[in-house]
Amino acid sequence: MLMQIAEPGQSKVKEACKPRVVGIDLGTTNSLVAHVEDGGPKCIGEDPLVPSVVWYGEASVLVGRAAEGRPGAVASVKRLIGRGMKDLAGVRAMLPYELEGDDRAVKLRAAGRTISPVEVSADILKTLKLRAETALGGPIEGAVITVPAYFDDAQRQATRDAARLAGLEVMRLMAEPTAAAVAYGLDRGSKGLYAVFDLGGGTFDISILKLVDGVFEVKATGGDSALGGDDLDRALAKEYVGPPADGVSRLDVATAVAEARRVKEALTDRERVDWRGHTVARDDLRRIAQPLLDRCGRACRRVLKDAELAREQLDGVILVGGSTRSPVVRDYVREVFGREPLCDLDPDQVVALGAAVQADVLAGGDHKLVLLDVVPLSLGVEMMGGVVEKLVHRQTTIPCGATQTFTTYADNQTGFDIHIVQGERETADACRSLARFVLRGVPPMIAGMARVEITFLVDADGLLRVTAKELATGVETSIEVKPSYGLTDEEVERMLVESFDHAEDDLARRNLAVERVEADRILAATRGAFASDDGLLEPDIRAAGERAMADLEVAARGDDYLKIRAAIEALDLATKPFAQARMNRAIEAQLRGKSIDEAEAGMER
Amino acid sequence: MERASSSSSPDAFGLLGLPERFDLDPAVIEQAFFDKSKDLHADRFASAPAAERVAALSRSRALNDAYQVVKKPVARAEYLLARAGVTIGDNERVEPELLMEVLELREELAEAKGAGKVAVASVGSADERGDAQRRAATIEALRANMAGRRDAAVGALAQLFERADLAAIKKQLILLRYLDRYLEECDAALDAED
Repeated sequence: MLMQIAEPGQSKVKEACKPRVVGIDLGTTNSLVAHVEDGGPKCIGEDPLVPSVVWYGEASVLVGRAAEGRPGAVASVKRLIGRGMKDLAGVRAMLPYELEGDDRAVKLRAAGRTISPVEVSADILKTLKLRAETALGGPIEGAVITVPAYFDDAQRQATRDAARLAGLEVMRLMAEPTAAAVAYGLDRGSKGLYAVFDLGGGTFDISILKLVDGVFEVKATGGDSALGGDDLDRALAKEYVGPPADGVSRLDVATAVAEARRVKEALTDRERVDWRGHTVARDDLRRIAQPLLDRCGRACRRVLKDAELAREQLDGVILVGGSTRSPVVRDYVREVFGREPLCDLDPDQVVALGAAVQADVLAGGDHKLVLLDVVPLSLGVEMMGGVVEKLVHRQTTIPCGATQTFTTYADNQTGFDIHIVQGERETADACRSLARFVLRGVPPMIAGMARVEITFLVDADGLLRVTAKELATGVETSIEVKPSYGLTDEEVERMLVESFDHAEDDLARRNLAVERVEADRILAATRGAFASDDGLLEPDIRAAGERAMADLEVAARGDDYLKIRAAIEALDLATKPFAQARMNRAIEAQLRGKSIDEAEAGMER
Repeated sequence: MERASSSSSPDAFGLLGLPERFDLDPAVIEQAFFDKSKDLHADRFASAPAAERVAALSRSRALNDAYQVVKKPVARAEYLLARAGVTIGDNERVEPELLMEVLELREELAEAKGAGKVAVASVGSADERGDAQRRAATIEALRANMAGRRDAAVGALAQLFERADLAAIKKQLILLRYLDRYLEECDAALDAED
């Protein structure tokens, strides 16, 4: 059974003021939004699958079924998000649209405009948000958004930017196989070691998790963030229609690929299908799929090696993703893992369902579970000679951190060139480049004397922050970078304003409503904490807290949401020592062996 | 830029509520980590005020970092050795025999990596794919051989800790660094073949 961590008697209070939160599966082919009601997760919408297709017209934007099949409609942008031209060299020719950009980010040209994958993803997310708001009867206050476990930092960052652009508050980026395991774990009460084989339209993940007493620990994860059912469609089209030749329009290519997809899907229930004068048998599909499946197989073997497990030690293999409907894929999974895979939950919905559960948990819902996910790819810095020094190794549980001290290699070096990379290869140029920055102001010294301390902090979303400090002289210079492959914060802000265009007032109104709710919540929480933990409260902190609360009350009555936000932050700051004292006491109580709840009744709301 | 030193968490065993010793059952370490995670995990504080959330995140991070140190035998041994005042530098003296052996092994690996890569006639040809498969198989074999050796070397650590022979532990850990570096190179080479 799942651990009960919640304070007894509080669930009713929580229910009454439960925030409206959702889980979103932003897929390559289809996207879904789900939420928890009456204790169980459910996908929203009569047909919960929203095709991840966007069509841009003169004055309107269509998303989903309405956009499907229209000339110039944009699909499968998940393959482009957080990627550069170099990464996409292989698939470019088969895409139904032109790409432009550099090795950091790309944009696509569709219907006479140039648009980034982040913006297209944001349009899909806006549709899902609207769908949820309509169904749930009010604004969505938070969302857990799933990403492939194997997404690197740049791809995660870009996904988060897309959500921000869509006006969603991202509670957590969650790995897709982990979300699927949560849905399975809750539904079946599973325990033990499970492999999640997640083959979607454009991404492949393989994760091994341990499920025990409400804890979901990812032992290891692997995959390929550019491998999915799309590739099989293209391979089929190439085989039977021929490679895209000069003079063949992008529309013809798109048509052939779309037909190939239908042929592939038809072969799920039938042994053979006639297509463009050929008879395509299921075994033909198997042969064409083999090189792609072999890539999956390699990743599976590697992840077992990382988890230090033999396939016999697994208790089950869970199938996730639309592509696992194909018998060709199922047969392969059976062969690789030597057992019959589990597929009793809808492989299209299971990720969104798990994300909804996690959103509910983060919003203080009834399910109590602890998710321990990992970094999929090692994070490091480039050293002299282009070699990579890893600070955080792959399969490290997140959130995590690492600190390492580096020295200069040349006399009188006054700057440190810091290049942050992600990947397993030995040299920096073979890894993914995440960010570069120069730490200046290092005092001239002989080689090896100056010392720079570099700290990597990975948060629970799997996102990295890097800090560098110069230590040698005692003078600390500190610089912080946030790798932002997709877009800079300023760009996102600008696009937010532009995209809302005439709806700016709407945005301000919504922000105001959200900030007012937050202000009420914080005020009530702080008053409660002041009353119950009087003993921990220094008089000057109390006075500062009371002042900040009064300021917040005034701000909340006004209609400037930025002022309310500032007042909330000021209150947080003023009561920080108090919060820290309560936190410390909770930890002490915990270390003494007493349950945190006994010591802390009323700490959590 | 060159590496100078790395630092790890101050009280890794204490955070997990475990005794500070090498000989620990992996299942006990895992259970301790799960138990502490249930209480300290940042998600528990997701709806708390910002200051508490930040504090909870760094607690979570410290716990996870402690787990990384304690669960892996080599990291655990290095940590315990450091606590006993013995550190391992980057340029430790190594016995000539070990150095010779490692050099030979690396040569073997370099050869395996380069086999059939000279004068490739047509990229993507069946010949080239066959060569890549043969290379991968050779590297796999070298890796498996080394992995077996590493397991034995890790196994020997327990006895050395029982005897509290710090000098021998240090020697063993230096050996393990070379073995691990070699395994990493094998993995990177296999990645390159994929």
